[in-house]
Order: sequence, then structure tokens, then C-alpha cells
Amino acid sequence: MISLTINGLPVTVDKGTTILEAAKFLGFPIPTLCHMDGLEPYGACRLCVVEIGEGNSARLVTSCTYRAEEGLKVRTASNRVLRARRMIIELLLGTCPQSKVIQDLASAHGVKRQRFKQEHEDCILCGLCVRMCKEQMAAKAIGFQGRGENRRIGTPFDIKSEVCRLCGGCIYVCPACQLRCTYNDPDKAVCGGCANLTPPCVEKEKFDDMMCYMSPCVACEIRKE
Amino acid sequence: MKKIASVEEFSDFRRRVLGEKQIEYDRPTLVVCAGTGGQASGSNDVIRIIKRYILERALQYRIALRVTGCQGFCEMDPFIVVEPGRQLYPKLRMEDVPRVIEAAVGGYVVDELIYKDTREQRVYQCQNDIPFFKKQTRTILGNNQSIDPIRILNYIEQDGYAALEKVMSRPEPERIIKEVKDSGIRGRGGAGFPTGRKWELARASADGEGQKYVVCNADEGDPGAYMDRSLLEGNPHAIIEGMIIAGMAIGATQGFIYVRSEYPLAIKHTLIALRQAREMGLLGTNILGSGIDFDIEVVRGAGAFVCGEETALIKSIEGLMGEPRQRPPYPIEKGIMGRPTCINNVETLANIPVIIKDGGANYAKIGVPNNTGTKIFSLVGKIRNTGLVEVPLGMEIGEVVYDIGGGPVGKAKIKAVQTGGPSGGCIPATMFDLQIDYDSLVKAGSIMGSGGMIVMDENTCMVDVAKYFMSFLKDESCGKCFTCRKGTQRMWEILDDISRGNATMAHLDLLEELAHVVKDTSMCGLGQSSPNPVLSTIRYFKDEYIRHIKDKRCDAFVCRELVGAPCQSACPVGTEAWRYVAHIARGEYQEAYNAIREANPFPSVCARVCNHPCEERCRAGTSGGDPIAIRSLKRFVTDRIDPSTFRPRRQIWTNGEPPRIAVIGSGPGGLTAAHYLSLTGYKVTVFEAEQEPGGMLFCAIPSYRLPKETINKEIASLLDDNITLKCNTALGRDIDIDGLLGQGYKAVVLAMGAHKSKPLQLENEDAPGVFPSIEFLKAFNLRGEQLAKGRVGVIGGGNSAIDAARMALRQKDVESVTILYRRTRDEMPAFAEEIEAADQEGIVIKTLVTPMRVLTTSGLFSGLECVRNELGEPDSSGRRRPVPIPGTEHTVELDTLIVAISEDSGVDCISPARSGGIEITSYNTVRVDRDTMMTSRQGVFAIGDVVTGPNTVINAIAAGKKVAVLIDRFVRGEQLIQPAVKNLPKVYVEPISLDVQFSAEVSRAETPRASVAWRKRNFAEVEVTFSVEEASREARRCLRCDLEFTKPKEAEAPAEVAVAVGGR
Repeated sequence: MISLTINGLPVTVDKGTTILEAAKFLGFPIPTLCHMDGLEPYGACRLCVVEIGEGNSARLVTSCTYRAEEGLKVRTASNRVLRARRMIIELLLGTCPQSKVIQDLASAHGVKRQRFKQEHEDCILCGLCVRMCKEQMAAKAIGFQGRGENRRIGTPFDIKSEVCRLCGGCIYVCPACQLRCTYNDPDKAVCGGCANLTPPCVEKEKFDDMMCYMSPCVACEIRKE
Repeated sequence: MKKIASVEEFSDFRRRVLGEKQIEYDRPTLVVCAGTGGQASGSNDVIRIIKRYILERALQYRIALRVTGCQGFCEMDPFIVVEPGRQLYPKLRMEDVPRVIEAAVGGYVVDELIYKDTREQRVYQCQNDIPFFKKQTRTILGNNQSIDPIRILNYIEQDGYAALEKVMSRPEPERIIKEVKDSGIRGRGGAGFPTGRKWELARASADGEGQKYVVCNADEGDPGAYMDRSLLEGNPHAIIEGMIIAGMAIGATQGFIYVRSEYPLAIKHTLIALRQAREMGLLGTNILGSGIDFDIEVVRGAGAFVCGEETALIKSIEGLMGEPRQRPPYPIEKGIMGRPTCINNVETLANIPVIIKDGGANYAKIGVPNNTGTKIFSLVGKIRNTGLVEVPLGMEIGEVVYDIGGGPVGKAKIKAVQTGGPSGGCIPATMFDLQIDYDSLVKAGSIMGSGGMIVMDENTCMVDVAKYFMSFLKDESCGKCFTCRKGTQRMWEILDDISRGNATMAHLDLLEELAHVVKDTSMCGLGQSSPNPVLSTIRYFKDEYIRHIKDKRCDAFVCRELVGAPCQSACPVGTEAWRYVAHIARGEYQEAYNAIREANPFPSVCARVCNHPCEERCRAGTSGGDPIAIRSLKRFVTDRIDPSTFRPRRQIWTNGEPPRIAVIGSGPGGLTAAHYLSLTGYKVTVFEAEQEPGGMLFCAIPSYRLPKETINKEIASLLDDNITLKCNTALGRDIDIDGLLGQGYKAVVLAMGAHKSKPLQLENEDAPGVFPSIEFLKAFNLRGEQLAKGRVGVIGGGNSAIDAARMALRQKDVESVTILYRRTRDEMPAFAEEIEAADQEGIVIKTLVTPMRVLTTSGLFSGLECVRNELGEPDSSGRRRPVPIPGTEHTVELDTLIVAISEDSGVDCISPARSGGIEITSYNTVRVDRDTMMTSRQGVFAIGDVVTGPNTVINAIAAGKKVAVLIDRFVRGEQLIQPAVKNLPKVYVEPISLDVQFSAEVSRAETPRASVAWRKRNFAEVEVTFSVEEASREARRCLRCDLEFTKPKEAEAPAEVAVAVGGR
């Protein structure tokens, strides 16, 4: 067992527990975008930063990846944390303004302006879909490509993946884009299922163990008609 | 090679090799650097020539050749060092190589080819005396010179593998770790973690059990840094030896050298070295029969910058995408395949054999406490001696830059040093006394990094530097964590806006705020240090940012969108030099004249005496050739076209009686202000203290540069009905400011110039025969008096000194003229062409002398007592300070002395002129607001030398133009400050077609000058005008930078048809 204090409150947790889990246990809210229970922590969105240490050695770390240490002093809402968090949200807002998740975050954190040049991207590269595909669906159909500003999500060689089971899990977990399923813009569609009008549900008999996360699904909507 | 089976056997072998070394090296050896840098400069050809020459003449038993890796003095590549005398022959041409070989064989020195310092006029017979080498401590790098990297015996001859022998004979890991800890060495990769501590932790990790790894991090990706490459290329065995020892210390059996594929030579040499070591039994299973296993594998990186970060490097070795992860756990706990991994930099590992061999305590004596040992820096950028330098930690930056690096390349002063690569920061020249060590650099906002040192001078724009590094980082960030990926993109975006003049001060604040957050919240070292280039440049060079944002100016002339055509933005009045040059090329002289005259009311004057900042910035010159002779072309046009052909646009004052403005001083500044005010409709009265108008044009410029008729003609063309000229009316004597404002003048412009020569402040300075330069020039220009007699001395190095000297030379009783200057010619502030002309006319220029006493004989001036100087440390202006050498006092006998060290502004007349409220600065100039040009008294403006101290004609004209606009706004009651606008080319002038032949052959046309013999005897103008032929040829050389910004009329796209929606 490891004892640490979060915002002054002592807490004892199992070895290997992350700060995020410990904070959740105590009821301190820490916003996250790239974290999901059941998926490996990744530390991409940096929203969950908390301040640890004291004096000159105080620093910000992502609570989702940082494991609790004996005697650690954690502050989840210090000025430094809040300043960083607001700036991250502003950056997110400049990138993906149409995401409801991000809009809600901005509103919850009092971010009222966005000073960067407006972009309209549909991905913040949180990596949830990649991990979902790999860890929960055991498919590894999608992954990251490129680096720096050219980093993006795609299938190997950008061709339709043979291991993709069209489960839609990637879309289900996506925090940025309810627009991921751009069936009328095949270049942007990850699975391409609805674009071909052969979504999994249409050919259900081919996939016995299929789980569909898509709701609402364009295909379902079309079928209703 | 037979495998060596035991430590004793190896020990014998080594002793034998060391013994044979003496016999091998009794003949002269040619050492040639063939590292990547050397090969690029042509050392392969040198080697080929040497080999052929040796074989042809059968010299192989009389001379030896050693091909080494990079030796560090890359500026001088290709060079040959002849051992044992160590003569260094730099920058060899192929045809000179045989001479060097012959000299080496014959045991003599080729004087023309040996290394010389042109600035200090010194010849260095031995490499060790050259300042570049003398101040270094080359414990690691020095071996590169003695080793052929593909010969293991060469390494053993240099006491290589002695450390291995030492640890193998007593294999006690704790002892190794203790030595390394005692040495105090810190990781040379940049972060500076103590290596001994790292090894200790790695040894203890995983309870000391199981597989562990040693990794040599040779993923060197910083722009401008190449010391790791040079070590791997030049001395791979040292790194191998270091790794084996590291492996023993932590209990690892497998090592990896992670090196980027961009380093083919390093990979080649490393692979050869590994093979040799394995064959000799120094690597692999059961090393030297000790039972210890250790092998090394080379892993080639694909060149992602982030793979230098240790967690990303591990991923890359594992075969995954190079992407960092959160630490802890650190690699020493969980590294490759989850096993403890100890990652060290190339340079750290190269230091290990030295530490083991000499003992940690001895090693710790080098450097300063807590920062021990030497560090290799790659000194690049705007510096004379580019190359690798190895110095003890704790040396001052200034020593590295000025003493080892040799200071700036050209005339531009060094502004800053960028350390630590893209993640590092800039350290300004004012902080060059900073010690180079891990902690001081961090405190100064930079990092040690892998040791890149990029020197920047005044032609480097700091915004552009930050933008460059940010552009590198936004491409090289792995993109995993959001703040680093998006943060670097956004920072680049804002910097780009600033460099284009599209940003506001709010953007600068946002940039800084963002930079702090990126630093705080990024996952790995790359992200955390990525804002350093921005933060450190904002910290030390904020004024440059503000200049870009507020004034829309880039003083280094780097940011394209702000510079436009460099000639135009370099001109204080914004003359479209490209435009009239283009018209001259087309033969349209009237249009050319109009283009000049629109911007400048004194074209004929400026065509003769302007200091032509346009030519300094001309891209034909800065891109390696000679600048266009813009001033001479202007002269060509102004000599051809009559000023009256230009009809300026005139406004008529409609609101009743036009207001009256008083201008005091009829120099270029005052008359320009009067002219433009008159064009706007004002009634201007110009007051002049002397009997004719012209101001400093008459008083400070000799007639052989600017004939009286030219001034008079130009002034006559400017005077009109709106301007009243009152000569012989001096401020403080005949008029005063209260009076003028009382008489109904709406505003007063002070433009009196700088009329008072500064005194030397020595005794007897007022003796007959000593003249202040302005007095001297005025006496002749206004009254025709020739004051100089006999042997004339002129003190000073500025334009007024040269003017006075050349003027004195022309006077009838003068025998000789000598200029005395305290620094060297390189530091003289006078225009280069003036110094050259003075030289031609036979004026003696004595440099590095300071007058100490003015000598008199029976009350008359008779000479100077002077002392010689040498150049010392640079002062605040970046020029090296003259330091008197004691004991070098000597007398210079003279008959006339002209003092031309500087001028004071004409502020003496202000206080008696009932001028309450006008403030004077401590430099004896009038204090004005930089933006409004108004003095501290409402309605009184000041321009020209009276504000700036002695300055150029074109700056006075620029001030006159600006003040005319401001006075107009003042009288109308509008806000005085105007927002700055970008000064980009707007008019399209059709270019003429040239054939390729022409562009390749043509060179700058020399400005024709009257013959020296003739011009020396009279006061007539020296410079002559171009012929039509010459002018058109010269004008056609123009690169037409303007065409990037202008379009022909018909091709112009209709304004903003489609506005992109949702686009970026």
C-alpha cells in the first residue's frame, strides 16, 4: 500500500495505482480526453496534468500515467495546473472547435476566447481509437502514421484494412468527432462501411460476434427509411 | 589476427606495439583529415595526390601518410599537418600539395602556405601555437589526429585499450563505478546526469540479476552539432572500449550503438572497429579469457530527431515507432524489452577510458567543481574558425567565441550564441562572461545540449532564428502529446505572423504564455525544452520582436515580407532604388529621376555623399557578389536631368491664411522639412546663422566630394514662394524660441546640426596650429582660408577625420598628412571607399596609436606624444578595446593638428534662446520623443544631428520628411503617432531580358575617379559620372528583388474573388 496526499487529503492506494485513479477515488475531478477505463494509459492530451513535488522541484505530470509514490504531494487544481489546462483547452478549441466534448470542457473551465487561427480538424490524436482497436477489439487495424504536424491516424499503407471488422469502436470512443463517420467523404472515413452501404448491421449474419457501438448510425438511419 | 586469450597476453602485445611505435614514427608523417567535413572540402583529392606523388617518387620509406577522422579545424579543410614539427598547411589547393610533400621530406617549411593569421599578421610555425588549438584541452578530440580510425593498432599505440586491460586484470565492477563517480563526469548528451550514479543505479536495478543492456546514443540530430559523428568516425575504438567497461560495470552482456543512417562514414568505421575488436578477442564471449561476455550491435536510426530521447530510442531499438513514454519508470529500471538499460552519450563513453586509465580523481581536476572534465563544442555560424573545440567546463563563452573561434567573420558584430541545438536558447553577447557549465546555462535560459554553439551576428534576425528552430521542432516533434505537437505548430504560426508583420503585441504575449505551458506540460525532453528558442530570444531580444511588430522592420534584413526590396527598406527615406535602377536599364532617365526625386529632395547631393545603406544591403552583394553601384547610378541620372523637370504635387491651403512654421537651420534636414511643409501649403521661414544656406553640407563636407555649385543648385530648386530664407540670423543671438512662438509661428523645427568638434581633453589643445576639424573645414568652405601647414596630423578614424585629412592634403603649404587612429583599420568608422581614396592620395594612416600629450615649442604646436595600443577585450559596442602598451611612448613631430574625434550637437545656442522646457540629454543633444519628434516643449520639434549627434545626410533628410508630416498633423490637431506600414515595392517596372552570358560575366562597374596625381593638387570633384554604356551595364546587373512583390497590370488578379471558407 502506498500513502500519498492529494490536495492535502491523505489517501492510501494499491501499488501501481495512478494519480488519476487515486484522485477519482477521493472525488477530485480531473478532466481527461485520452483516458478511458479499460484502455492502457497513454498521456497524449495532457489535460489531466497535476502538480507534484514542492518548491523548485515542483512539476506538472499527467495523472493518468504517473503512478502513485510513497509520500507524494499532489495538487490537482493549483494555479499552475489551471493555467496550463486552460491553455490546452484553448489549443484544443482552436483545432477542433466543432467537438461537443471540447466545447463542454471549455465552458466548464471558463475558457471564453480562442486566440489562435481557427482550424477545423476532426482529430486531436488522443489515440483512443488506436488503443480501442488494439486492446479491446484485438484488431490493430489502425495506428499512427508520420510525426510532428504530419501525424495522423490511418491504416497501414492507407488501404482498407483486412483485419478491420467494422465494429465502429473507434468512432464510439472518439472525443473530437461525432463527424468521424463521413460516409459522403470516403477519403476521411476510417472504416468506409457506410460509404459502401454495407455497414456491419446490414450483413449481420457474416459477423456472429459483432458488437456495434455506432449510435446513431447512418446505416441504421438509412435502413429505417 | 589471432584471438588474444588472456589478459597477460594482451598486456604483452600492447607493450610490444607501444615499443614499435618509436621506430615507426622516426620519419615525417603527413596527417590529413578525412572526416565527413574534410571529405566535403576535398581531402580525398589531397590524399589521392599524396599517394600518387609518394609512389611516383618512391618516397614511401622517407615519409608516411595518416588519414584520420575529423580533427576539428573544419574551417581550414582541406589541410595537412606535418608531424613531428606539426606545421599546419590550411585550405590547400590541389596544385600546392606536392610542395608540402617536398617540404616535409626535405625538412623545411613552405612559408606561403603555412597557417597565418591575416588580422594579426602572424605566422604560426607549429599547430600547437595557433590560438584555435592553444586554448583547447584536447583530451578526447586530440586522439583523432593520431589515429587512423580503421587501424586498431593505431588506437593501441595511443595507449588505447589500456583502460580495458586495467579493468580486466581486476574485474571489480564496484571499483569501476567508484572511479567514474570520483571523476564527477556528467552525461555529455545534454541533461548532465552524473554517469557514475546512473551506472550504480543500473547495476542495482532488477536486483542485479538478468539481462541488461548498454546503449551508446549516437542519434545526434541537432542542427549544427557534429561532435558525436566526429568521434565515431575518428576514434570508434574509444567508444567501444567505453562501452565494454560500462557493460562490465553494470553487468550487461549486450550493447547497442544507436546511430543515424545519415552518418554512413561513422557506421562504416564503427563496423570495421567492431570487427577488429572481435577478432582480437576484445569483444564477444569470454573477453580476453576473463569469462566476461559483451558484444555490441549497431542499430541504424532512420533519422527522427525524437529518437535521441532515451525512451523513444528504446522503442526504436525494439523496432517500434520512436515515441517517448512517461518517465518513471526510467530506462535503468525498464528499458529495452523491459530490461534495465543504461543509455550513455557517445562523448561520455569516449571519456570513460581516460577516466579509468588516469583515475577518477585526476580527471576531476579538469574543469570546475560539479562540472568536471572537458566538453566538445561544435562552433559554427558567423565565426571565423568553424570547427570542433574541446575545452574544460567552466570556460567563459567569450573565450571560446573570441579567442578560439577568432571572433566575427566580417564587420558585423557578434550578437548572440545559440547553445544546445533546437531545444537550447540564445545567450546575448553581453553575457559572454558566463561560464559554460550545465547549471549556468540552464540559469541563463539555455541548455548545454549535445554541445552545438551557433554564433550569430547582427545580420541574424532573432525572430527568424526562433522561427527556424520552431519549424524544425514542429516537424520533428513525435506528435504523441498534444501540447508539444500543437504547441510547436502554434508557436511557429505566431512567429511566422511576426516575421511577416501581421502580428500585434497581444500575439507576443500569447506566444510567451503558450511557450510556458508547453514547457510545463509536455511529456519528454524534446517538448519541455522546445519553447527555449522562443523564451530565450524574447528574454534577451524582446526589442527585436517589438521592432517587427510595431515598426514592421527587420533590422537584420532577413524577414522577407518586411524587407521587400532591401535597397528600398535600407534607405531612410525609402527611395525605390530598384525602380530607378530598372528605369536606367531601360534607358528611361526621366522616369528614373522622378523615382529618385519623389523620395528625396536632395538627389544630386545624395548622389555624391550618401553613405548608401542601400548598397550594403543589396542582395547582389549579400548573396556573394558585389552590390549594384546604386549611388553612382543615381549620380548618372541626376547629372543628366534638370531638377526643374520634376513637378512635385502641391496642396493649397484652403482654410484661410496658411499657418506659419519656423525652421532653424538650413541644412539638409531643415530644408527638407521646409520643402515638404511648403508643398502641404504652409508658409515656412528658414533661419540660417551663416551667410548662405546649406548647413552641415557646407561645413562638414569638403568640396572635392560635394562642389558648392551642386549644393546651391539643389537648394535653389527647393526654395519657392512659400519659403522665406533669412541668413545671418542665429538662434540665441537674433531670434529666440519664445519670440518665434509669440510671433505666431505654429511650430518651430530645430535643425542646427552638429557644429562643434569634440576636444581631445589634453593640455595645450588650444595652442596655435591645433584646429577642431569642423573649424578647419568651415574656414576653407566658407572663407577660403587654408589653415594647414607643413606636416599635418589628423586624429580620428571617422569620416570627418578622412575629410579633414584629404582637405589638408590639397592645401598649398602642406608637406604630408598622417591620420592617427587608436584601433585598427577594420574598426575605422569611416566609409571604406573614403579610406581607400585617402590611401591612394598618399595619406599615411597610423593605427593603434593614442595621443597622450600635445607638445608645444614656444607656445606653438610642435608635435604629439603618442603611445601604441593593442586590441583587448571587446567593449559594450562589440569592438575590441584599445589597450596602451606601456613603454611604447614616442613623439610624432607635426606642424598642424586637426582634431576629428567626433562632433557635439549645436545645443549651446538653445539655453540663451528663451527656450524654457526644452530638455538636453547627457550626450549634449536635444531630447525628443522617438515617435513624435517633439521636444519636451509643445510645438517645438527637433531633427537631424542636433538630436542624434553627428550623422549622415540621408538620415537628416529622412527626419526632415517625417517631421513635416508630424507638424501637419500637429497643426491640424490630429494624433501624432502613425501606425507603421510595410514598405514594399508597389510599382511594376517591366524587366528587360538578359542573356545568360551577360549575367555570368558582368561585374560591378567601378565608380570613375579623377586621377590621383591630378586631384591631389586641387579642390575639384574626385568622383566622375558613369558613361551611358557603363550605367546601363551596371543597372542591368540588378537582381530586381521587387518583382517578387509586384505584378504587371493586366495580369493582376481581380481583388479577392474567392475567400476560402474553412481553409487554413
